[in-house]
Amino acid sequence: MDTNALIAVMVALPIASALFLNLLDKKDRTIKILAIITAIVIPIIPLLTPYGSHFFGGYVPLAQNATLAQGLPSLITGTQLFQFHPGIMYVFTSAQQLMVFVLGLITFFAIFTFLNETKRPSGVYAFLMFMGTASVSAILLSDDIFNIFVFFEIAALAQVGIIVASGIKNNYETALKYILLGNIAGPLLLLGIVILLGVTGNVNVTDMIFTFKQGYVDPNSPVILMSLALITFGWLYASGLPPFHTIKSAVYSKALPHGAALLQAFSVFTLVAIGIIILRLFSYNPFTNIAIIGISVIAMILGITMAIVQTDYKRILGYLAVGELGYIGIGLGLGTAFGITAGLFQAVNEAIITSFLFIGFGTVLYKTRTSNTRKLGGMMYVNPRVALLVLLAGLAMAGVPPLNAFQSKLMLIQAAIQSGLPELGIIMILLSIVTFMTFMKAFYTIYMRPKPKELEILDNKIPRSTVISLVALLIICIILGLFPQIATNSLQTLAVGLV
Amino acid sequence: MVVDSQLMSFFTAGSLVVIGIFAALFLDNLIKKIIGLAFLADGVNLFIITMGYKPGGIVYIFLPDMVVSNFAQTASYPLPFALVLTNIVIGASTLAVILGLVIILNKRHGSLSASKILRDKGE
Repeated sequence: MDTNALIAVMVALPIASALFLNLLDKKDRTIKILAIITAIVIPIIPLLTPYGSHFFGGYVPLAQNATLAQGLPSLITGTQLFQFHPGIMYVFTSAQQLMVFVLGLITFFAIFTFLNETKRPSGVYAFLMFMGTASVSAILLSDDIFNIFVFFEIAALAQVGIIVASGIKNNYETALKYILLGNIAGPLLLLGIVILLGVTGNVNVTDMIFTFKQGYVDPNSPVILMSLALITFGWLYASGLPPFHTIKSAVYSKALPHGAALLQAFSVFTLVAIGIIILRLFSYNPFTNIAIIGISVIAMILGITMAIVQTDYKRILGYLAVGELGYIGIGLGLGTAFGITAGLFQAVNEAIITSFLFIGFGTVLYKTRTSNTRKLGGMMYVNPRVALLVLLAGLAMAGVPPLNAFQSKLMLIQAAIQSGLPELGIIMILLSIVTFMTFMKAFYTIYMRPKPKELEILDNKIPRSTVISLVALLIICIILGLFPQIATNSLQTLAVGLV
Repeated sequence: MVVDSQLMSFFTAGSLVVIGIFAALFLDNLIKKIIGLAFLADGVNLFIITMGYKPGGIVYIFLPDMVVSNFAQTASYPLPFALVLTNIVIGASTLAVILGLVIILNKRHGSLSASKILRDKGE
């Protein structure tokens, strides 16, 4: 089997660039050039990389390396050791290609907006954004569960850094709370991983599945179920599903709009990546799917209903984003190829739409320096074109045709009915309506009602780059809404492999 | 009575994890919470080391005069130790970030009480 080094470049390039950016202090022009070049290259690499695997250090399984396997005792060649992957392996299929590409695209828009909205861009902030992107790309690509844990921790640190760098009131408190919880969830996730290592002798997911299938380990043993519970706990933290929905929405609200756009993409793709690992390892146990669906329904209900009562539009978006994660979880939890495809498609759509909303609503913060909906109003007259773009983003999130989330939500409802769970379809429709109402309420308050007298609108013009980013995101939403097969064809192969 | 050292080590690791989670969740002082988190991380590390322990095993370094089959049978499994080393590095970095945040918050609030600093502020 050939090893494909370009797969590793998807992770290595943002890390290398991040490290350089971190060293650049007060060299604004150099920071801008390096950051924008990296941001352009990141989404291009997955498009140029052929599908395949990358074995770090060139350590392919002995079964595929005739030279190394020569002369080895039967203790190795005659056992499962011969099949195992001795090093870290990254796998790159059409599904990973689409998700890494979308993550790269969101990184590009976030960096593009950041560089143009900030007079003196910070190299450290760009470092954090690229480190986060590299980590989540690695989580998506890696077939090694310990490697996933390492990047899970790096991603958490990058997220904390993005919150700290925002300078928003009480950001340090939120950062501390998030990292304290992360330091409980991280070791517990690791404990789940090492329990699997203890019983299977491996950290490679493919090898673990091989061990289960060959009957070397009883997959129904209580120890394995304990491991499932611990890994699921880590998954809930990383993705912001309940009970971590409150802190996750707080994290979004304490980041700058471009940072929040990126943070929610990290949550979405981490949810998908670790969710897929859970399905691959534990889907033989029907309880896994029931648990995923149960958590997802709770996330939808809590996220969307808590959004209604918020008075900070960043918190509203944060809770809506958490609610939307529930749709992805339901798709994964249904366990059918169609359901998983729909869930993955919803993940791609949500990452794009929520970034669209965060960057769009970010223009309000840029013009008024407040995100409190009680103090806002009349923003429609300030910039009607941006207001229209934000409205379209909200309609996309609610699942209004012909925008992209309509297609994925429709697929999810069809998948729920096909799986004999029409109740889930009804819940999803009702919550989409509530999402629409919540968004329209926020939109009316910020844009359409008369401007409060005490609201001061700053003179600074919304950068053209922000408007370009919003238009580009809208075009992507329309394209995926009209031609969903562009995404679903890529995601289907992975979904079929999971069933 | 002979006590199995590996079993005792697992018991110690479990105790550290439980004490760590309790301290991190229920103690109010931020430094005590951090100590709890360090206990939790160390408990997990001890668990991994204990899991990799092989009674009568040899260090997993293949020397020129060794026979492959003997080495394969007697060497302890290196993977858990590699994981522990990585996890120690991750733990140290995370702990440094937490302590940095606590120093700043202590200066701002003049307190190390989590209930005073974090209540209704971080959400």
